[in-house]
Amino acid sequence: MIGLDVGSTTAKKVSIEDGEIKYQIAGTHNWKDLITGIDGNDIISTGYFRKSIPHRASVTEITAAIYGVRHYFPDADVIVDIGGQDTKVIDVKKNNFIINDKCSAGTGAFLEFVANYFKIELKEMGSFHSRAKRIPAINNTCGVFALSEMISQLVAGYTQEEVIAGMHYAFARRISFMIPEAQKLVLIGGTVKNKGMLSALEDILQKEVLVPDEPQIVNALGALKYYC
Amino acid sequence: MKLIQKYKLTVNNWCIVQKKTAITALVPPELIFACNSEPFDVNNVIPGSKKYPRNKLCAWTAIWQEMLSKREIDIDSLIVVAGGDCHNALVDGQKVAMSGIPTHFFFYPFDGDPDYLESQLYKLSDFLGNVGSPEKPGQIRELKKLGQKIDKKRADGKISAGDAFRIMISFSDLMGNLDKFKEVISSTKERKIDLKNRVALIGVPPIFHDFHDVARALGLAVVFDELPFEFIRHSGNDIPGIARDYCNYTFARPLDFRIKFLQEELEKRKVDGIIHYTQFACHHMLEDEIMRSNLDYPMLTIQGDLPGNTPEQIKLRLEAFRELLERS
Ligand code: SF4
Repeated sequence: MIGLDVGSTTAKKVSIEDGEIKYQIAGTHNWKDLITGIDGNDIISTGYFRKSIPHRASVTEITAAIYGVRHYFPDADVIVDIGGQDTKVIDVKKNNFIINDKCSAGTGAFLEFVANYFKIELKEMGSFHSRAKRIPAINNTCGVFALSEMISQLVAGYTQEEVIAGMHYAFARRISFMIPEAQKLVLIGGTVKNKGMLSALEDILQKEVLVPDEPQIVNALGALKYYC
Repeated sequence: MKLIQKYKLTVNNWCIVQKKTAITALVPPELIFACNSEPFDVNNVIPGSKKYPRNKLCAWTAIWQEMLSKREIDIDSLIVVAGGDCHNALVDGQKVAMSGIPTHFFFYPFDGDPDYLESQLYKLSDFLGNVGSPEKPGQIRELKKLGQKIDKKRADGKISAGDAFRIMISFSDLMGNLDKFKEVISSTKERKIDLKNRVALIGVPPIFHDFHDVARALGLAVVFDELPFEFIRHSGNDIPGIARDYCNYTFARPLDFRIKFLQEELEKRKVDGIIHYTQFACHHMLEDEIMRSNLDYPMLTIQGDLPGNTPEQIKLRLEAFRELLERS
């Protein structure tokens, strides 16, 4: 049996062999490569395309995240899943969830926007952030206005590194509005690999934010655990 | 300009030319029929319309405003429910009035004062040309009893939520024709409905025409519709009677009144969770946190904007909510 998470940009496959988690990640367009030789009856699917791929059972990303995170942090009470198109906040204890899929300012797309502007790779954003000496205030929580504010800060003399750090703070502030009181807060989704954003969020929330070793495969693992 | 259609009904050999009166929200249909007018709830056409209004806050009011101002709906006059309900309607209603349609503004009392409502109903009756068919409210009362049976059967799993909703929501204007409406109600087919994951739908009705059917397909049984329930709950045989009953129309009253009512109703219907539908740019959105802290059930808040099919993003939330209810 495998857990298969096919989302808008990547597809992830997880299986558990002799108690060990095995996984594979591919671009969404290559999702079929992940299941060569695997029967549809052995697939528990999740992610945006969960219903359009072969599956024995399917589960939403929200429930999959709860089961997947539980594997790493059994007592997590709030899960934040920052994806490319949306951000989900799941209050595990209170059994509640909210999804922001209306405004790009609170999703991974916002940071991609910034990376594109500076013509750098998304994964470089963290190291740019760490070289910042000052952090300019970027107050707008709207993606488009934040971008023009960012340009004004560049003109005002802040370096590219500092402006990137400022944008991480603007992004983290936006996310923090969605997060309820939590003892143990876990962050998942591709965006959390960005250390700059993570440290901005910890600073704003004034608390440690936990990240599983492989935050991207949590939902595929969760789908599997949900069923088995 | 298009000719305004008049509906002809023959009563006691007298030929009455029935006027068509549009309403923007709940206005006692008892009085409109009694004044020999045919109510038409302008919201009926919106979920199925493909309109993208130019200048909008809430799509409900923006669409009817545009359709009425452009005379895309044939009516003789308009009653705007303003006080105690919706300020967007108050402004969009004035735009329609400025376009030349005779318009009356109707105000519910926030404090539930029946005397105030009575005076409002007398003004409305003047606007409509006064009571000419005093037997109509009694006939409507009988139809509302049928509506309450439909609601009960739905909560007992004998009628689908979609069928029950379509009938209950039509009680705002009773399709403008009591006999025709009675036929529609009696043709409702009974069938066995799975009532796992019983949910209450609170807030204004969803702007998506297929919402109840989608919820059912995703494993949620809607056993309560807050606003449509108001449509079948109130009646009255004459103006003072209508005033005494409709002054408890929950949507026009303070939130604690509405919440107490909800608490009792949800308890009776043994719901497992609540879906709070909110409309983009509607003040009712502000009530979400109050509902959450006062109604002790798992709650999903969703928001709609333009009419059409239930969007995929909302389907995801409904499905996740079902999984959540099954976990708890
Ligand atoms: S949804 Fe809200 S803003 Fe829109 S018509 Fe209804 S009450 Fe008014």
